[in-house]
Amino acid sequence: MDDVESENCVVRNLEDVESVLSFAKLERKDVKPTVQCVIFSQTLDNDSIKLLELDSTVLKCLTVGDRVVIRGDKDDSAVLCTNDKTYEIKEAETSNSLLIIPDLKFGTDLSNEGEVHVTYNQVTSVLNNYYELRPCKPKVKKMKELLEKNLYSGKECEQDEQHQGKKYTYSDLLDVIQASDTEITQALHHIKACLIDGYWRLLDFDFQTQIINHIMQLCDENDWLNSGIPMEECCQTLEELFPRSVIEHMINCYCDKRMEETNENVYKINEDKVCRFFAELLLRGSGQFNYKEFLQVWQQSVPDGMKTNMCQLEGLALTNLDCNIPVIWHFPVDDLPEDINERFDFLFRTREKWTRDDITPYIKDLVTEKLDVGALLTRHARASLQNGIKVFNSRKPLNK
Amino acid sequence: MSALLSSRPGDRENCPEWAIIDLQGELETRNPVPLSGKFIGDLHFTKKDAPIFIIGHHILYGKIVDLEKPFAVLKKCQGEPENLEAMETNVEPSKNHYEVEALIKKKILFKTRPKPIIANVPKKL
Repeated sequence: MDDVESENCVVRNLEDVESVLSFAKLERKDVKPTVQCVIFSQTLDNDSIKLLELDSTVLKCLTVGDRVVIRGDKDDSAVLCTNDKTYEIKEAETSNSLLIIPDLKFGTDLSNEGEVHVTYNQVTSVLNNYYELRPCKPKVKKMKELLEKNLYSGKECEQDEQHQGKKYTYSDLLDVIQASDTEITQALHHIKACLIDGYWRLLDFDFQTQIINHIMQLCDENDWLNSGIPMEECCQTLEELFPRSVIEHMINCYCDKRMEETNENVYKINEDKVCRFFAELLLRGSGQFNYKEFLQVWQQSVPDGMKTNMCQLEGLALTNLDCNIPVIWHFPVDDLPEDINERFDFLFRTREKWTRDDITPYIKDLVTEKLDVGALLTRHARASLQNGIKVFNSRKPLNK
Repeated sequence: MSALLSSRPGDRENCPEWAIIDLQGELETRNPVPLSGKFIGDLHFTKKDAPIFIIGHHILYGKIVDLEKPFAVLKKCQGEPENLEAMETNVEPSKNHYEVEALIKKKILFKTRPKPIIANVPKKL
């Protein structure tokens, strides 16, 4: 478009406006008397601002003054976090020119009557892009990886060489993990992290085993399996051996608080969680395990009175029962890739065909409000029938 | 790395509302001179509230579009955010800070081809 005025300071007189109007074959009586003369600002700066498309949730957070943070690492793409949600920030380009004008009036703001007059409206920036927000799953796997660099194995081991790795406080995590406050708290709970001396730590598995064994022994001696574990008494008994916060943490992880009239905190052991723990103890690092032997050893390993059941191992172990010697092996969902495509690749590399029941524990953490397990499978897998059973395989060839 | 994003104190309830004129293509001058301070065109509204934008020899007919999702106009600020209330909950003050200058809820979209204006037709041939 050409014919732009040459002077820097634009003065638009009414005669010019009216003559252009008549050249354009527009009748004065058909248009409103206010003419908005659009000019580039003297301080036109296309890089000074960014446009961010907001959804109603983020808009509300900003209006009420809730904390909204943009988080990114050198290697990560940026995300936006409200208190409880995470969004990917994606740049969208447009071939149109977006002229940003701070004080433009729309037709409905202008009167039909009055003297013809000119107002000056400055374009402060011209943009060809804006940023969109897409709700996404929090990227919390990195948190587990960070915390695994310095596991906690007890007070006396803290000086050891292998326990000098970086430790993370909550605010350290907030700064490096691309997730909202609520999501980080949930994830810490999910990976069973424990707050020790102000740092969030994962407990070394062998260390956890020691504590569980002590707790189980106390349960056996005091018949706590039936009556429940009195938190205070349990902590006092074991306090010489382990920090109190760690004992409380373990009880919270493997027991459920009992709602009772008494003031004392009593916890009921969660049989499923404890059985799962003992299964993990057997399966960790032992490769493929003879399935029948495993079932036997597992049942023997759990405290008396507890009953093992394969459904306790959902998302923890895989079995192959169709071969000559049925086997089971450790296959925890928490160790799988967080990215949906990578996750499906990984699963189909591990096993070519999955039944829906088998694959569900390994993808259900990926579901969103819009995509349930069925929709995820439709999108990322192909269904077929094998001996009358519906199975899912990869949509694309996988290079092993 | 993180950056806090906040409304300006006092702006929360009635954040200024800006507007976008959305044009197809780009605005250029005949000569490569800086655009700052230059006149673009006259924006009229018909009495039926339809926008008409006259740029040089071109007339554009547009329409008002309510944005399904509003835009926040973000401005990068140097230094600490002034928003003290946000600071309190901000565990580690971040160096970067974006402020919402304004919201944009409506734009004027000119998506049809500009029509030429035959101006300065010589009166005598």
